[in-house]
Amino acid sequence: MKRLLSLLLVALMACTVVFAAGGSEKTTAVNADGTVTINLWYGAAITEAGPIPDDWVGYDILREEHGIDLHLSVLPSNESDQDVRIQAAAAGNSLPDLFMVSRPVLTRLVDQGLVAPVDDYYALMPNRTAQQYDADSIAMSTIDGHSYGFASPGSVAKNEGLLIRKDWLDNLGLEVPTNLDELMEVMIAFTYDDPDGNGKDDTYGYGAYIESDATLKGYPGARLFPILGAFGVDGLWCLEEENLGLNVYKPEFYDAMVYIRQMCEEGVMDPNWLTYKKDDFRAAWKQGRFGIMKEQNAAYAAEANYAPFDANFPDGEWIIVDPPKGPEGLASVGAYDQNYRIYAMSQDAVDAGKAEKICELLEWMSSDEGYFLCGWGQEGVNYVLDENGVPVAGDLGDNAFSGTQGQVYTQLRNMVFYNSDTELASRYPTYTTATSGKTMSALTALREMQSKYWTAAIGSGQMPTPNADVQRYYEQSLAEFLSGQRALTPENWQAFLDQFNAIGGADWNAQGVAYAQENGLVR
Amino acid sequence: MQRKDAAITVPKPNLKREIVRHKDVYLLLLIPFVFYIVFKYVPIFNAQIAFKDFRARDGVIGSAWIGFQNFQDFFNSFYFWELLRNTLFYSFGKIIISLPVSIILSIAIYECTHYALRKTVQTLAYLPHFLSWVIMYGVLFALLSPSSGILNDIIKLFGGTPIDFLSSVKAFPWVVLLSDAWKEMGWSAIIFIAALMNIDVSLFEAAMVEGANSWQRVRYITLPSIKPVIVTVLLLKIGTILDAGFNQMYMLYSPQVYSVADIIDTWVYRQGLLNFQFGLATAVGLFKGIIGMLLVLVSNRLVSKFSEGSSLF
Repeated sequence: MKRLLSLLLVALMACTVVFAAGGSEKTTAVNADGTVTINLWYGAAITEAGPIPDDWVGYDILREEHGIDLHLSVLPSNESDQDVRIQAAAAGNSLPDLFMVSRPVLTRLVDQGLVAPVDDYYALMPNRTAQQYDADSIAMSTIDGHSYGFASPGSVAKNEGLLIRKDWLDNLGLEVPTNLDELMEVMIAFTYDDPDGNGKDDTYGYGAYIESDATLKGYPGARLFPILGAFGVDGLWCLEEENLGLNVYKPEFYDAMVYIRQMCEEGVMDPNWLTYKKDDFRAAWKQGRFGIMKEQNAAYAAEANYAPFDANFPDGEWIIVDPPKGPEGLASVGAYDQNYRIYAMSQDAVDAGKAEKICELLEWMSSDEGYFLCGWGQEGVNYVLDENGVPVAGDLGDNAFSGTQGQVYTQLRNMVFYNSDTELASRYPTYTTATSGKTMSALTALREMQSKYWTAAIGSGQMPTPNADVQRYYEQSLAEFLSGQRALTPENWQAFLDQFNAIGGADWNAQGVAYAQENGLVR
Repeated sequence: MQRKDAAITVPKPNLKREIVRHKDVYLLLLIPFVFYIVFKYVPIFNAQIAFKDFRARDGVIGSAWIGFQNFQDFFNSFYFWELLRNTLFYSFGKIIISLPVSIILSIAIYECTHYALRKTVQTLAYLPHFLSWVIMYGVLFALLSPSSGILNDIIKLFGGTPIDFLSSVKAFPWVVLLSDAWKEMGWSAIIFIAALMNIDVSLFEAAMVEGANSWQRVRYITLPSIKPVIVTVLLLKIGTILDAGFNQMYMLYSPQVYSVADIIDTWVYRQGLLNFQFGLATAVGLFKGIIGMLLVLVSNRLVSKFSEGSSLF
């Protein structure tokens, strides 16, 4: 028995070493059937829909015509979860051949030697490079002088706007506010003067949620950008030459905080704003909880998204307005950066000789065949072309690219779309609302939003990020000031800045300034 | 006569024979055995990266040794003492609140003579355990929202001022402790109900004959009978004292309550996993494991000293 136990113990130890040292599945370049396996982890275009089915014709085309055995895996929809999944795979040295990755994570993977430079591979994709990769996009994936991923255009820039309930303004006999004082008056009226006329004290002036990050949308986040923009401090970083650095250091940032704190004290902010998640916030405006917000064009005006509001408030109407002017006459909807989706190649894939096939895959995606197949599915099955050559759903019902059955075939569309007019026209068709009969178009809303003044913060997405303690201190302190836990006084504000500098904020700022100067991000 | 004179020999215990004889039972043991081997023992080898500057490309073995640097980074982090305080507060708080609640619930279910009521309560009490904290967040938000939550509606009805439970540093710890107790009390009660089922019924019958009321039966029969189980559960919980509930906290916390909500696990998530410092994350995990093991050993020793027969080992 002792012998048996000894053997078991030895086997266990052997298992431990083997399992622990292994974990990385290295595939050879060429399979027995002559194909090359490419594992691709992609960001789904429609996160609430399922993955691409196994009967997708693209698999057969790639296998038979290009010798590519494509294996797809969907990344989580939440950005933090995406980062965790990529980094967990990286920690096990088992990254897929090609994968979508955020810039901050890419920086860490480069430091670990896990992703390959791709400078030499653009030339292998002439069509795709002309369509998708320009100097800005290459800069987005460039670290220490080398491009470490293919950065495709992401969501359309400047696609959000400041919206106000016009029906509430009309009910109360108010005009669209043009400056912060008028904005406060309107918010107070929306909160206390029963703008929806239901006799209940159930409305608020402004609605928001915390939508922040450590590169562009610094706390308290993008949903308050129109307020911060009135003070010239929208965005985490100021990339103007004379004020280069973190916006929090500017005196106007304190003034903006005072104004937002006043909004909270007056009770005009929906009190849930600190705890709302994105979906809660979106459910709230559809339930008529507040009358002013910053919202994205499609989230506001796309047919499925507008329908609940239309059903609840057939007489309700949102309008896109200019951002309010601040004390110095400044105004901005918010800071914007060019958005990109970076796809990186693992070093293992390059070492296994797969780089050329990956480029062939990407080039095929940007060919006419791949572009329409990934973007809209099969012609006649998932889309038809209208008289302008724009893919539309036609009478294809559920199988259409916008239908429940057909939409899963377009999960890779974000890898091929580059925000062309055709794509936008197809994605945001004009429609008539079901209940109120309004004519709506998310594309019209987008164009109107883009026409407003925005603050350019191009390159913010590349800026260095702080460590967890510095970021926590920054966010927690601002939250405490806004929620009233800490009195917002000049003395307390200075104490906050001093401590922020002491724990690493000053270093973070210095790194950012240096990076912006070295990489030509300063305006 | 010959048989009478023969010495009675006790066969030597033979594990192999035992396994063959009770192979069905040992087969059942195989699944958890494999689970523990693969997910608990094999990863121990990787714990060495707590002492290394882990680089994935170099692997666990190839990464450079850096001694206790990762531990020092953790101990010297700006929020270390606050993280430790919050973690211990929630861990002990959950034990202090959840354990008695589970015991009371189990006794109540056991004492309930109405079969349908007992089963209904039991099932309803189990249900929240199966909901993820994402769902629980939605439920709590509907209950506690300052503008539309049911609880705040009641407060407003009586002329009070709404409380933002999820972003108030005073209210947040109570939300965490009570929501955890609510979610887990049914599940935790299972083990106590099982222990209650093993109590000899004749003890209760004798006590009733002697005129003992319900409270006296609970005090003098039920609680002493399940004391070993209570001690076992307590010791197991002490072993994971530095696990204060990552999922719950991650869903519920926000920057304005970081000072009372940030625990070791949420910090490790942000600093270790999101910033690719797996060596640091492992160092913290190792630290938690060692503290937990020491606490179990000390607690077990104390239990065996003051209450013989109740200790784990």
